[in-house]
Amino acid sequence: MSQFVICINNQGNQASLIVGKVYRRLPDSQAEAHQMFRIVDEDKSEPEGYLYPASMFVPVELPEEVQRVLMAAESGG
Amino acid sequence: MGQSFRIISDIRNIETIASGRGVHIRKYLERYYGRGRWRKMKGVATVELADGTFWEAEIHWYEAHGIGRRDFKIKRLIR
Repeated sequence: MSQFVICINNQGNQASLIVGKVYRRLPDSQAEAHQMFRIVDEDKSEPEGYLYPASMFVPVELPEEVQRVLMAAESGG
Repeated sequence: MGQSFRIISDIRNIETIASGRGVHIRKYLERYYGRGRWRKMKGVATVELADGTFWEAEIHWYEAHGIGRRDFKIKRLIR
């Protein structure tokens, strides 16, 4: 499972998601059974993220170095 | 409210989670919806997901007087 996705549609959640931005996806089998992803969106006060339709994102594979940087930025602010 | 899911009941157990500077995405809320005294809220409602199934869900949203409720999001599915 790709840990990262790019937002391609933020309709209805314009403040929480930015189109073209990479977000971290957290494992959530219940959400995935309903074609949803658990996403850490712009509201970093919610580290466990929110459920969004998978159709609003495209999974991407990022180089390990990029993943490390993004994870560090997320946890360190 | 957007296309991600549909709220099909009244929202119950409404609480304010954050207000003022405690609303972390305030700058985006102001950019897209306008300036206001934004509050972050939570509650429980029956929702219809994009796949057509119905769930009780904890939902969060942001609201400001004169602007209304924006950016409804599902925190978790309850049953």
